Amino acid sequence: MSQVAIKVEKISKKYRILHKQKNSNDSLLSAFAGGLKNMFKAEGGQTEEEFWALRDISFEVNHGDRVGIIGRNGAGKSTLLKILSRIVKPSSGRIEYYGRMASLLEVGTGFHGDLTGRENIYLNGSILGMSKKEIDSQFDEIVAFSEVEQFLDTPVKRYSSGMYVRLAFAVAAHLNPEILIVDEVLAVGDSAFQKKCLGKMNEISRSQGKTILFVSHNLAAIQNLCNKAFVLNKGTIGFPLSDTSSCIKHYLSEVVNISRTAISDRSDRMGEGMFRFTNVIMKDAAGAVMHSAQCGMDVTFEFHFKLTKEQLTNFSMAMTVYTDEGKEMFTLSNAISGYSIDVLSGNNVLQCKVKKFPLADGSYICNLIAYKDGIIQDYLQEALLLNVEEGDFYGTGRALPQDHKECFLVENKWSLS
Amino acid sequence: MKTVITSSDKSFINFGELKRYGSLFRYLSLRDVFVRYKQTRMGFAWSIVRPVVNILIFGALRFLVEKSNSFIDSFILVSTGIVFWQLLSTTITDVSNSLSANSNILTKVYFPKLLLPLSGILVCLVDFLIAFVIFFVLFLIFKGMPPWQIVFLPLVIIYGLVFCFSLGLISATASVKYRDIKFILPFLIQILFYASPVFLSSDFVLGLNMPEWFKVIYQANPLVFILNAFKYCFTGTFESFNMVYAASSVVFTLVMLFISIKYFFNFEKSFADYI
Repeated sequence: MSQVAIKVEKISKKYRILHKQKNSNDSLLSAFAGGLKNMFKAEGGQTEEEFWALRDISFEVNHGDRVGIIGRNGAGKSTLLKILSRIVKPSSGRIEYYGRMASLLEVGTGFHGDLTGRENIYLNGSILGMSKKEIDSQFDEIVAFSEVEQFLDTPVKRYSSGMYVRLAFAVAAHLNPEILIVDEVLAVGDSAFQKKCLGKMNEISRSQGKTILFVSHNLAAIQNLCNKAFVLNKGTIGFPLSDTSSCIKHYLSEVVNISRTAISDRSDRMGEGMFRFTNVIMKDAAGAVMHSAQCGMDVTFEFHFKLTKEQLTNFSMAMTVYTDEGKEMFTLSNAISGYSIDVLSGNNVLQCKVKKFPLADGSYICNLIAYKDGIIQDYLQEALLLNVEEGDFYGTGRALPQDHKECFLVENKWSLS
Repeated sequence: MKTVITSSDKSFINFGELKRYGSLFRYLSLRDVFVRYKQTRMGFAWSIVRPVVNILIFGALRFLVEKSNSFIDSFILVSTGIVFWQLLSTTITDVSNSLSANSNILTKVYFPKLLLPLSGILVCLVDFLIAFVIFFVLFLIFKGMPPWQIVFLPLVIIYGLVFCFSLGLISATASVKYRDIKFILPFLIQILFYASPVFLSSDFVLGLNMPEWFKVIYQANPLVFILNAFKYCFTGTFESFNMVYAASSVVFTLVMLFISIKYFFNFEKSFADYI
């Protein structure tokens, strides 16, 4: 079967962003007067900016293909899926598809907390496009898959979040369209259930020859499920539809390239901008600069930055470390580890010391984020590439066995008693 | 089956599609019915309490204002208006809220969006039926059998619903972009309440000493005709019936229905962008 299932021609999506001109409402009265003025000035006091979420996207998907869509946050993946599933309208372009399409952009769309599990199965199923007959015939399977038989007549607001997600996914997994569009929904639930979901999706797509479009941050899941993939980058096709592994390879090399750009040169930042990261330096215990961390060593991260003001109050920041497959390893956050920074001045250097660096050798990606009063000031994705080298974590003088698979090392002591 | 999506897609009522989504309509309506009085001690008794309290307040008010009626009659007469008004006003409100209340579905899945305002009507009807049955029993006790004109009742109810649905649909569509509607609507309903013969009879209002142009405005309100038609089914006399205003009410309602549907479908495809 090499019939075309979906044909996308030059799809673009434009959003208008309205920037309110700063009018300082320093009194209640002026705020009120401003509101009145806005009422009579249509869209007044605002400047408009065009933002292309997608630009000239074209691709063709054949029947039975399982296509992964890879891209960083903000690349336009979700917008593309929303256009394909007819939730939003494209600004230009044309899409044709053949057969019944169902989209799964969220698990449990339309679930109502006050309704019981049984009622929600019917409600959610019909929202996803199933008829009563289809739901009736699959009801027992759905319940069995969700593992919540005993609570079927309990309102779902009394469910644990795990049960809720399981029930929601169970309904979705029994959708029976020719084309299925799935967004990131597997990033929920415990890992055992995630595995079950992936297995179910695999089974659906392989045995029944369904066409699937799948977006995920989890490159391993895409590798596992999809036979083809393409990369979206800032609203355009970054790497055309091709086999999954070459696509992932391209994507990773791109990520590495981005993370090699010096932080101070990066312009793709988000946030208010009162605080900007300029550099991150790693130092060993003696204070010498290192270019890669070593497993088991004490590592100090030094965050350099510039401020637009002399001082920032109520500041916090975090660095999150990911594997190159997008799995979160750990976060260094002053707020979570209980160190509050009430006043930060331009002369300070932010330091965070990690004792016995626990990650196994490999390369990792770090995101940086900074807040003032809980409002994001600076947010950099893939800010730096963190290489970790083998090290003598356990102090035995030996490296880990060649075929080790772990990503974390944990200090442990053995004894016989 | 081939589907085409383009930027210039214009939709209009697609009956085939609405039919295919029939079970969604049923479950959305059932959800609204089930959820309305969930976790209330009294449950569906609330759909009786609300009109009863209103009947007590406005029956007494009517007795004070229109001194010509007997005490019991005041309450019976008012209850006809109140029971029907309850249906009309809740329909306007629920239809109007139906889109923003379901924004979580609207932005996550495709379906014919007209189902949301349509399913909003059903809960109001259920509420109405409960209150109506009680009202009808009381009517039989105090007034005896209704006149033959009662056969027009279903027609009048449908007519009233069409009017309120159109009004609700316009405000639902507008409220996707302008949340101001949420604040305007309660005022509008309050104004309509006093501008329509809900508790004061239109004969009484028109008999008051006021300028002629004001009476014209009062009678131009399509709800005057709708509410009087409802009372007509129970009393057999059509209060202040005037062919011109009756015709204008019908024309106005039909035009508004057309405009509201046109307006709704003009924006349907952009709901998810704005909501």
